[in-house]
Amino acid sequence: MLKMRERLEGFLFSARSTTWIALLRIGLGLQVTTYSLSLWSDWTYLFGANSDSLISRDLSEAILSLDSSFIPRLGWLVTLGGQIGLSEQVTLKLAFGCLLCSGVCLLLGFLSRPAAIAAWFLHLAARSSGGLTTYGVDNFMTIGLFYLMLCPLPDRYSIDSWLWKRRTADPRRIGFHQRVLQLHLCLIYFFGGLAKCLGTGWWNGNSMWRSLTRSPFNVIPADFLLRWSNLLPLIGIFICIVEIGYPVFIWPKGTRNIWLACVLAMHAAIGVTMGMYLFALIMIVLNVAAFATNSTAIPFRKEQARTAGGLGNKSDDEEAPASV
Amino acid sequence: MGRIDGTSEADFEEVPKEVTALFPGRVGVLHRKQLYLACFFCHFLLIFAICCRDTLSFIARGYTCLPVFFNTYAQKAETIVSTALGAHLEPSHPVRQAVSVYTHLGGIESGYAFFAPNVPDNYKLVFELHYPDGRIEYDLPHVASGGAGLRLATLLDNIGDTRSDELREVMVKMVAYSVWRAHPDATMIRSVFGFALLPTAAEFRRGTRESDEFLYAYDFLFPSSSGETDVP
Repeated sequence: MLKMRERLEGFLFSARSTTWIALLRIGLGLQVTTYSLSLWSDWTYLFGANSDSLISRDLSEAILSLDSSFIPRLGWLVTLGGQIGLSEQVTLKLAFGCLLCSGVCLLLGFLSRPAAIAAWFLHLAARSSGGLTTYGVDNFMTIGLFYLMLCPLPDRYSIDSWLWKRRTADPRRIGFHQRVLQLHLCLIYFFGGLAKCLGTGWWNGNSMWRSLTRSPFNVIPADFLLRWSNLLPLIGIFICIVEIGYPVFIWPKGTRNIWLACVLAMHAAIGVTMGMYLFALIMIVLNVAAFATNSTAIPFRKEQARTAGGLGNKSDDEEAPASV
Repeated sequence: MGRIDGTSEADFEEVPKEVTALFPGRVGVLHRKQLYLACFFCHFLLIFAICCRDTLSFIARGYTCLPVFFNTYAQKAETIVSTALGAHLEPSHPVRQAVSVYTHLGGIESGYAFFAPNVPDNYKLVFELHYPDGRIEYDLPHVASGGAGLRLATLLDNIGDTRSDELREVMVKMVAYSVWRAHPDATMIRSVFGFALLPTAAEFRRGTRESDEFLYAYDFLFPSSSGETDVP
């Protein structure tokens, strides 16, 4: 039991440098900036509560309140703005401006922690208030920003670390946060893959065909797609294998790069062929931050126990400072 | 500096006083690492439970290729997992509230079965605009950018999946009103909601094309230039 615990601790608290945090920060900065710019012209139309909006924010927030009244929402900011005499339009535009600024700050690594908190809060508020119009990308952005906000910031590539010259965080704490992201991705792909494997459509190519011809994802003309329709069952099965096999094959050195390349290619293809570029970007960012920066150890392997709670597994990460 | 036994000072760094105050009599026992581990287990327990609940719900509803035999068991298992997540507690119960708020904050309130087990049909909303002079025009809900276009598709999916007739009507009425603002001369908008039946690749090759199936229709009256109103 004790050995098991040591192994678990060795796995969870292995020393890491802040390189992966830098990648996550820059990637999420780019994501938040792109997300904001993509909604530039529709921001008040999507999140307004008055007659100018597509669907009233009040309705989404009322549905959200059935879950809890304590989930952040844009309505809070609008009420707050109203207290100081700001109209709904102005408050929403200010929220948009702050979200865009926090994205740019994350990109540069300037005021990383406040920017990460602001980006997480504002995006979460927009996501909650636009609950009826949100899709997968919002889910993963919240996950990424939530982890970034809790990560030991600033990383060494940020303007912050150059300006303030702070002491680097404990490398094992940095490693712990990366493990959380890695394990979360494993669960995401495993359950996503399992759900696909349970549907017949992913085995016979029908789901692939429907995904690519369904509006508004029908970027490729159906006539062109038909020429390659014999490949669709193979691509569907390939996606099932890549997703369900992710938690197994992403850890060993021999298969990690292959699996990572397959997953990145899959997301890039989703972005190009279905027009879901924001979704593709966030998934690529999360995968790169989690698995592209170091060689990862296989969970609970014996040699991990030797480094439990201690000097860190230096072979895992050539850049981890030996300051512990 | 590292210790001789391979641990470091940070291992024995105690958690802040505010946290230890929550556990009277245990001061000095809780270490930062243990706190991290506790948070880690709670966090992943929630993610795992939510993912299981969603997967079981697909099986219970018969959306998968598994034999019907599994449906009843999946239903029972889903109830157990939902109960563990506090779904059967009073909405104001602190445990249910805490789970709900935390899962929303972390973005883990739903599973990750996108386009799974199967890709659903896509919903459509068409507006028939009636003018006082008897003229009829057709329009669709629109947004300015491609990014918002994906959100519009999600909105239609949500309208289609809504079980409450009243809520569905309210949502359609709101979208209809946004269309009316672009056509303020229209006095009545008939909103026709349906879904598109997509052909398979083989059917498409044989010449079958997407066809629309009717689900609901709503008539909304809007103010004419003379004044009568029925706007949301």
